[in-house]
Amino acid sequence: MKKRIDTINLFYVPALVLFALFVIYPFFKGVYLSFTNWNGYSRSFKMIGLKNYVNLFKDKNVHRAFANTLVYGVGSTVIQNALGVLLAVFLNKKFRGRSLVRTVIYLPVMIAPLIMGYVMYFFFNYNRGAINDVLKLFGAAPVDWLASGNRAVFILTLVNSLQFVGISMVIYLAGLQNIPSMYYEAAEIDGIGVKQRFFYITLPLLMPAITSSVTLNLIGGLKLFDVISALTGGGPGYDTHSLSTLIHKYYFGGERAGYASAIGLVFFVFIMFVSNIVVKALQRRQVEL
Amino acid sequence: MKKAMVFALVLVCCVSVFAQAQAESGSKTITMWVSGAGAQVDAMKAAVEAFEAQSGYTVEFSAPGETYEELMKTKMAANDLPDVFDTHGWSVDRYGEYLMPVNDLDFFANVSRQIIPTISNDKGEALVLPFDMDLTGIVYNEDVLAEAGVDVDSIKTWADFEAACEKVKAIGKTPITLGASNGFTVGWLYDRIAPSFYITDEANSKAADLKNGIFDEAIWASISAMIDRWVSNGYFNADVVTGDFVGDITAMATNQAAFDFIQNVAIMMAGGINADAHLGMMPIPSNSASDEPTLISGENVALGIWKETKAKKGAIELLNYLAQPEVAATIAAATGNVPALTNVKLDLGAVQKYIDKHAAVEAYNYFDRDYCPSGLWDVICAAGQEVLAQKPNAVQNTAKQVKDSFDALYGN
Repeated sequence: MKKRIDTINLFYVPALVLFALFVIYPFFKGVYLSFTNWNGYSRSFKMIGLKNYVNLFKDKNVHRAFANTLVYGVGSTVIQNALGVLLAVFLNKKFRGRSLVRTVIYLPVMIAPLIMGYVMYFFFNYNRGAINDVLKLFGAAPVDWLASGNRAVFILTLVNSLQFVGISMVIYLAGLQNIPSMYYEAAEIDGIGVKQRFFYITLPLLMPAITSSVTLNLIGGLKLFDVISALTGGGPGYDTHSLSTLIHKYYFGGERAGYASAIGLVFFVFIMFVSNIVVKALQRRQVEL
Repeated sequence: MKKAMVFALVLVCCVSVFAQAQAESGSKTITMWVSGAGAQVDAMKAAVEAFEAQSGYTVEFSAPGETYEELMKTKMAANDLPDVFDTHGWSVDRYGEYLMPVNDLDFFANVSRQIIPTISNDKGEALVLPFDMDLTGIVYNEDVLAEAGVDVDSIKTWADFEAACEKVKAIGKTPITLGASNGFTVGWLYDRIAPSFYITDEANSKAADLKNGIFDEAIWASISAMIDRWVSNGYFNADVVTGDFVGDITAMATNQAAFDFIQNVAIMMAGGINADAHLGMMPIPSNSASDEPTLISGENVALGIWKETKAKKGAIELLNYLAQPEVAATIAAATGNVPALTNVKLDLGAVQKYIDKHAAVEAYNYFDRDYCPSGLWDVICAAGQEVLAQKPNAVQNTAKQVKDSFDALYGN
């Protein structure tokens, strides 16, 4: 028996080696680099102690990117889940064309976020943008939608949410279909209304699905990168950067790889912390069927 | 089990032997990466294909476009560079430690004396084969300026330039077109204005300070204040913050805008959009009446050899081939710039008369390349976007941002 277990344990080795090579080693290398002034390509650099960590707490661009990251993360999670539940409840009912509607809502998920960003550029562009063309039809003046940082952050959150709302919808549909019909039948006999059924039966029993969907959406939103790169490039200035795009900009464009590593490490700790809190909070509210 | 292990061992040995054989034959294969896009890359690729046909070498040619610089930085970090690569203005400060000196190669005797200091390190080692030199200022639309009653030759200072912008605005055209969503257009704007504030006025020159790592934040704020005033006065296109480079050239080609802070290649590109467009190139105004207008010069398309290349012989042959006058001419012609090899004679068409006209104007290297540490370019572009977007206190905040980054990159 012991020999068999030893043999089975050997099968872990390739995975562990790959994990060590592509995750553990780069992680500790990143920690080391965060204490240096490395520019990202030169063979010479020096240790500068905690200077990068001190600077990042004073850097307004990091503060702005941090705030934006929270907006992208929390905003996308709220919009995707609220819309996802409503769509799932609606599409859980039988009606003609239901599969087509489900497919249409899910379709944008299959487009790469980078491509989605470029597509959206043609909607929000000042000169040749679809939205301004519609405004012009009604005699309104065109708007430079992405010229204001705050508005652009909202637009990016919306684009990301609408692209991935299909994932939440599918998770909630699966969750809804796992709720036994006897609860609804009993509620109907007791004369409980639609609103109460939703809040006292559907929502509590959807908690496992909510946990999965919220965690996925939150992490996805916090890591938002591609659509920002395609739609605004983080601009104007640094106004729409998330921490991910700012790290990329500082690392490659700004040639401050050591500093970018320090930001990355703090960001990693932040995401881990937030994700754990959210998962634990949601798991506590789950109800056994 | 044992049989399987022996089989695996034999397989690994075979793969290793095959890989070794491949590496040995690799000397006939040269990897080559170039930056840029369009006509410039097409001309280079055609020349490389002709070299392959003639020499028997295989050149693995790659032009990754916008991601070129990021990929090259990753390759430098891994010390695994292409055998031959384009340094796009950064032969010394960025790529210098990875390049082989070229002073002893055949073509070096023909490299223009004007560009040798730009492509040489402190030891006097030239590091690249340069094909062209930028010699540029501000591109203008002759027809729009004529309609507005502006005599371009009378623009000597920024005050004159602003007066010209007012006249253009009065006829309902856009005085300055700029597409800041492509950050490099903002960098070009600052690269053209900064020398007149920091360098060219000899009485107040900060050149020595900059070379010693001292950055005057107040001067940078003055430049941004001027740009901020241009935005407030309505000199820029309405979508200056989100517009793009292609929109700029289109506006110039279709007689919608008067000035564009862009390279000469725009004159040729505009001709492709509208054959009747009449664009010219003027020197950059000075900041004070006691100073003179200037031009920008510098390295553009230039190829270097990785100093640890395994294909050194082939790489040298390739560079010598590309440096032949008839081959180098096709590459320089695609950029609309002055050839950097003295044995290359080239008529730059629509651009040539402006190069000749301003031959006596003093030219300075790109400000960020010559006086700033590598990496500041990106900060300048982003900070400039904030000024163009007129964010609150952007003039002062971004000046501080540029100074902080200058200090950090300089190692202060």
